[in-house]
Amino acid sequence: MSNARSHYPDVSGILARKAEGRRQRAALRFAEKLAILDELRERVAPIVRARELRKKQIANPDQKETG
Amino acid sequence: MSLQKSIEVVTKLAELGVIRRYAIAGAVAALNYIQPTLTEDLDILVSITDLETHKSGLLLLSPIEKALAQMGYSERSSVGYMVEGWPVQFLPVASPLDEEALDQAIEVDVDFTGAASMKARCLRAEHIVAIALKVGRLKDLARIEAFLSDGRVDLIALKGVLERHLLLEAWKDFCYKAGISNPLSAA
Repeated sequence: MSNARSHYPDVSGILARKAEGRRQRAALRFAEKLAILDELRERVAPIVRARELRKKQIANPDQKETG
Repeated sequence: MSLQKSIEVVTKLAELGVIRRYAIAGAVAALNYIQPTLTEDLDILVSITDLETHKSGLLLLSPIEKALAQMGYSERSSVGYMVEGWPVQFLPVASPLDEEALDQAIEVDVDFTGAASMKARCLRAEHIVAIALKVGRLKDLARIEAFLSDGRVDLIALKGVLERHLLLEAWKDFCYKAGISNPLSAA
């Protein structure tokens, strides 16, 4: 068992870089983070729309999709 | 669509006296301390003295609704009033914890254009964590974990808030679920 484990890659460097990225984003000014949130929301908008549509279809299965 | 403009409208409501005491809460308030995470709305904690009380005892948001309509924001979504493309949810103070959080809210700079500075009121880190603990959804617990791992909450202040609002047991449960030793033991 212990031999097999030694074949796994060491991801500590990746995790450290991820933590550093998180700290850097956390250190941005509030106003800068607001702008990031605008961008994030725009990026996921198609997913949110699809989710809403799916909910509507589940609630009204007989209603056909329009638009 | 701009969250900054949505907050600007909220500050305008305060300037006009429509809301006397308010603070940004929820995920957008957490932004002031930790990295940005996706959210679908802007939560604004407001004092109940800003609201109308119906004879049935229900609190009404009519004064805010009227003022927003006069400013051209009459659309509503399932999660709040649409203001500059963002749903804004006005949450009346609903507990002594909310009341304290609102009283002790701080001012944050919302402007990043270099023009005249615009400030808005925002909850303190220890209150955001305590409220997240009380609400207790998975995303709230993840938010607490982010505050702790980034060292963005004053542990002594947090301990005080949790003691005052009888949340120490909930805190121990959180630590158990998160698999961490209680960071408040040394605080």
